[in-house]
Amino acid sequence: MEERQYDLIFICRPDTPEPEIDKVIATLEHAATEKGGKIESVNKWGRRRMAYRVQKLREGYYVYMVLKSTHGEVVKELERRLKVSDAVMKYLTVRLDEELKRQDKLKRHRERRAARRPRKTAPAAPPLPTSGDQAAAQA
Amino acid sequence: MAEEHVPMQAPPPGPSGPAGPGGPRPQGRPGGPAKRGKRSFVRKKKVCRFCVDKADYIDYKKAEILAPFIQERGKILPRRMTGTCARHQRWLTVAIKRAQNIALLPFAAEL
Repeated sequence: MEERQYDLIFICRPDTPEPEIDKVIATLEHAATEKGGKIESVNKWGRRRMAYRVQKLREGYYVYMVLKSTHGEVVKELERRLKVSDAVMKYLTVRLDEELKRQDKLKRHRERRAARRPRKTAPAAPPLPTSGDQAAAQA
Repeated sequence: MAEEHVPMQAPPPGPSGPAGPGGPRPQGRPGGPAKRGKRSFVRKKKVCRFCVDKADYIDYKKAEILAPFIQERGKILPRRMTGTCARHQRWLTVAIKRAQNIALLPFAAEL
């Protein structure tokens, strides 16, 4: 099956020590590889204010990672682990490959059009030659 | 006959002149000068901001981009307010809803 791409974001409690967050990330990575997926990148956004209160807390430690996998089982397993973990307050997985494909398509489309545009503007140029003809006729 | 009509039409702009101070009027329309309250104004055409940027994808992770498209209360603003095109509004709503889910944007204002 085709490879799918997911965005995985989770929010830890703001009072969790850094090593513990690293541990959560490590277990996720391990679980992903075990199930045949792969975590492409991990990006810690750090502590930031949340738009609303979660578990009576206003801040959270955001971690963002990109996951690649060929089947959805990996996501299921990772979400299970996130749910079990005490430090994690909230998580979100979004499948993105179809949107990225669409984005790619639109980009290619635009590039093609941009490449064609010079030819389109070329017909607009002729007025110059005609004026030259007129000038020649007048001469 | 046609010549008679011209002087007939001419007077109305005269009275509208004194009434003018209320605001500059581009052209006296028939019926327009009589009513003072109504003033025709040209609405500026709103342009889809994402089309200007040629956006192929609206990222739900960038809350600061999405924020102008929600109300203070947290509601998503309609297209007629923001001028977003149909396609981008569709993507935008999805992005906003995702952002709400991960607490980047509020569902509703607190308290």
